[in-house]
Amino acid sequence: MTLIKKQIPLLICFVVGFLTLSSYYVPHPVSEKYMEGINKWENIVFGFAFLLGLLSLFFSHYNKIRRRVPGWGYSIFVYIGFLMMVVPAFVSWGQQLDGASLTSLGWAYRFVFNALSGTMFSVLAFYIVSTAYRAFRIKSPQAAVLFIAALIMIIGKVPLGQMMWDGALGWTNVLVADIVEWLMSVPVVAGRRGIMMGLAVGAIVTALKIIFGIERQYMGKD
Amino acid sequence: MKKIPLFLPFLFLTALSSAAKPPAVLPPLTGFTAADMPGDAGGAALLRWDSPGSAAAGAVIEVYVSDPAKPAWVKLADFKAEAKSESDFNRPFWAWSPAAGRNAVRLDTSAVFGRLDKPQELDFKLRMVRGAASAETEPVRTVIKGNWFNAARLNNFLLMLAITIGFFWTVSHARRKGLFIRRIAGLDAIDEAIGRATEMGRPIFYSTGIGQMSLVPTIASTSILGEVARKVAQYDTQLKVPHFDPIVMTVCKEVVKQSYLEMERPDSYRDDINFFVSNDQFSYAASVDGMIHREKPAACFFIGHFMAESLLLAEVGATTGAIQIAGTEQESQLPFFFTSCDYTLIGEELYAAGAYLSKEPMLLSTLKVQDFGKAFVMVSVVAGSILLAAGAWFGWQPLIKVVEQLFKAY
Repeated sequence: MTLIKKQIPLLICFVVGFLTLSSYYVPHPVSEKYMEGINKWENIVFGFAFLLGLLSLFFSHYNKIRRRVPGWGYSIFVYIGFLMMVVPAFVSWGQQLDGASLTSLGWAYRFVFNALSGTMFSVLAFYIVSTAYRAFRIKSPQAAVLFIAALIMIIGKVPLGQMMWDGALGWTNVLVADIVEWLMSVPVVAGRRGIMMGLAVGAIVTALKIIFGIERQYMGKD
Repeated sequence: MKKIPLFLPFLFLTALSSAAKPPAVLPPLTGFTAADMPGDAGGAALLRWDSPGSAAAGAVIEVYVSDPAKPAWVKLADFKAEAKSESDFNRPFWAWSPAAGRNAVRLDTSAVFGRLDKPQELDFKLRMVRGAASAETEPVRTVIKGNWFNAARLNNFLLMLAITIGFFWTVSHARRKGLFIRRIAGLDAIDEAIGRATEMGRPIFYSTGIGQMSLVPTIASTSILGEVARKVAQYDTQLKVPHFDPIVMTVCKEVVKQSYLEMERPDSYRDDINFFVSNDQFSYAASVDGMIHREKPAACFFIGHFMAESLLLAEVGATTGAIQIAGTEQESQLPFFFTSCDYTLIGEELYAAGAYLSKEPMLLSTLKVQDFGKAFVMVSVVAGSILLAAGAWFGWQPLIKVVEQLFKAY
């Protein structure tokens, strides 16, 4: 049992991990074909897994409706939303355009799906404001630095801010755009690169742990 | 007054214009060689020839290719005769030694012959044209084939070997000597968050983000989920894991099930702990936001690969008063998590979390590898900066070139 549940999966993981890593250094067509094959297999597995996901979604919401759990009415919209896209897709044979005009699928995609996605994305603007309000409360010296940097950024990016800066501090001959440029290209880049390097090292070590079978939590423990 | 003959200025202008014009006859193209392009997947040739110099100013070089099995010359490319110096080639010094006064070009033949999976014999010739004048080389035959190693990536390969050797050495060394592991506030807060959820009788939400299973942060997230699920099983709290990717969902089901089994609570495990929501970014965010808003969880974990939905999720979680712990490899999303969550795993802490929580000696020892890796990066950055500054200060261009190429990815 250990052979099937542990050793064979670990061996597959090692071989596939080693070959995938090697493909970065091996440009030969054999290596290219291997990577193409892996991508195809990933798509095939995804196709089957998507069916599982869909079943999971339907059962989960079916149980909510059946048990009348609080908010069960929302679960009905899962089925309505599903039918709103799937029925037009079948009717239109999966095509969004019929010549220059929209098919029912194209209409549903553009005026229902895209509109809803756009709405969700635009909500971000309001959340950014509330997050900024929380972030700019000066409770510590670090928060004060953050606030000052953000204030300069806002002044530098908004035309009205630039006019105010020029009116009040124009005599210094220091342009707010120059300060913004320095903030973005020196402290921000330094901080980002520090995080990125740490992440890269962590990702390499995690990949080695998985390839060599040291990290096995993703397949359950012994 | 002395008279200047009228034809003298005309003669002078004629002499000037003839001096500015290049010679009518083109110089011959010499030293032409064709070879397989080293370090590629096949299909490309490397052509080199002696630079024709200023005598070929304004001329165009045309490259022709022919299959010896079906002889017919096809024009592959054309470019200015004075372009394509060997020193302009984008190859590092250990894989390419440019010669002075030589030209070189890499030409892909796939546009003419399609993808070449097998070695292919091809003839090449150059033709230089300027107006009515032209000069042509003799055809040169070569075999185009795929290569087994890209020498330009030797620096990367050696670094990978050094890291792998360092990895095994550190793991074995650290296991013998023991380790000091600094505390990570975000991970220590997991117990607090689960305890709070148990006391309040509210669920815990765990999101692995919108990454696929092939992404390292998603794998790291499943490890953390395993540890969270163990504690959830121990306290008999509710856990909800909405998923974006069905493959991640399948893996997480196994991980959570195993955690419940290990804590000897298989009776508490339910198959709907992990459930699929949507494979669309904003549909996923809208659905999870709705669930968080309605069910008011005591704790939310956002650990994995997140993009624009990070703020949508974290902000809604914050408004419900949940303890929030987040971690992502997307540095552009970290500011949103910093401001909306109580604890954020920064940088490599995300990858250290699984080992930190599991407290397994073998996994803990790999944290030391991360520390050595960071130390190596820091030393490299300082050394590279000093060498580049010295090169610029003393005007040592070769040193600058060597350092730049050593740290470049090809």
